[in-house]
Amino acid sequence: MNSGVWEEVGCAKLWNEWCRTSDSVHGLSPTEAYCVFYRLKSNPAVFLCQCSCYVAEDQQYQWLEKVFGSCPKKNVQVTVLTCRHTTDYKSSEPAGSLPSPFLKALKTQNFKDPVCCSLLEQPNFVHDLPAAVLSYCQVWQLPAILYLCYTDVMKLDLLTVEAFKPVLSSRSLKGLAKNIPQSTETLKKLTAANEVQSNIYT
Amino acid sequence: MASRYDRAITVFSPDGHLFQVEYAQEAVKKGSTAVAIRGTNIVVLGVEKKSVAKLQDERTVRKICALDDHVCMAFAGLTADARVIINRAQVACQSHKLTVEDSVTVEYITRFIATLKQKYTQSNGRRPFGISALIVGFDDDGIPRLYQTDPSGTYHAWKANAIGRSAKTVREFLEKNYTEHAISDDNEAIKLAIRALLEAVQSGVKNIELAIIRRNQPLKMFSAKEIELQVIEIEKEKEEAEKKKSKKTV
Repeated sequence: MNSGVWEEVGCAKLWNEWCRTSDSVHGLSPTEAYCVFYRLKSNPAVFLCQCSCYVAEDQQYQWLEKVFGSCPKKNVQVTVLTCRHTTDYKSSEPAGSLPSPFLKALKTQNFKDPVCCSLLEQPNFVHDLPAAVLSYCQVWQLPAILYLCYTDVMKLDLLTVEAFKPVLSSRSLKGLAKNIPQSTETLKKLTAANEVQSNIYT
Repeated sequence: MASRYDRAITVFSPDGHLFQVEYAQEAVKKGSTAVAIRGTNIVVLGVEKKSVAKLQDERTVRKICALDDHVCMAFAGLTADARVIINRAQVACQSHKLTVEDSVTVEYITRFIATLKQKYTQSNGRRPFGISALIVGFDDDGIPRLYQTDPSGTYHAWKANAIGRSAKTVREFLEKNYTEHAISDDNEAIKLAIRALLEAVQSGVKNIELAIIRRNQPLKMFSAKEIELQVIEIEKEKEEAEKKKSKKTV
């Protein structure tokens, strides 16, 4: 997000028991905020929200109202990207045979574009804020799609990020995706910073 | 429902699962990829090295270990569990040599390791070992062997196999590319192992470690330079294959 392509346009700070720090003394500052909103400089109609905190159930409605309440309900398309551990995925296939990581999608009724992976089957369901966003879009008849990546690592890694690559070919994001030859190298650098230096597993 | 049977592994669940053993197999997936190929005259072990912290001595982070002069293994999973198993296996190899004056067969030491793992799935208060191992070597009769063990204590002979993080992807690659021609030549077998690893290794050539055993020869660990040379050859072959393909379509 520091590449200069995105500009920060807002942030949402909230507190619940799952937040690790609570700072009531200092004022709201973007670096401490938990949900940061960016706008694409080259295309001001594109907004991105990076949510790195847990939004509790009783805070979700207010969060949605604040974010979506004032924006026009026409010509809006929402894409949600989220992750879950493969052990949460329930299927009749044995866990070992699932290709990990893999992508599943869930969409609202008004989303008519082709989906770039299979839909999430029952009895699996989406949790937390991503589910709230999708439900909100369904109620307000906004076209929205959620891409859920089932992965077997708890931290960000290259394989998980690459699992989202098919999403870049979808109609809504195609215009934003740049085909940079060194994209893999850039991704490697970004995920290397997160690599767990733990020696528990070899 | 499952949680009632997770605590003590000596208890089966109503549908016959030993959940702790299955969870141990998840721990194996947290380890980086290891691949093994049994050629006609060579056995190859390739692993993806984990990136080492700046101040850490690289030599102490090893995924490939020799159990005896003619047997070596690669593992994926919990490092500490692997250390315990390797120590016991190395002692067993020497004990066998001293007792019967013969080196262990690859199957013997695999069975030893698998039996040890199985004991820990049936003892009260113990958890299973969280590692899978690929054991390769040559027996006295000159036949190359490759075995794989898993946390449940089962072991099977394989022609080629992979364990760890992207094992499924690598195994599918091996199923497509393991041919009699590929394994008849030592160099081709080495290249097949590297190509299989490159399917899964995200960090590139620098994070690959390779070991081979040839008939009647000790274990040889490849240096980074040697691996790089192999990769250059592989890239060349890939380019030539693509050129041929494009010529055909034109």
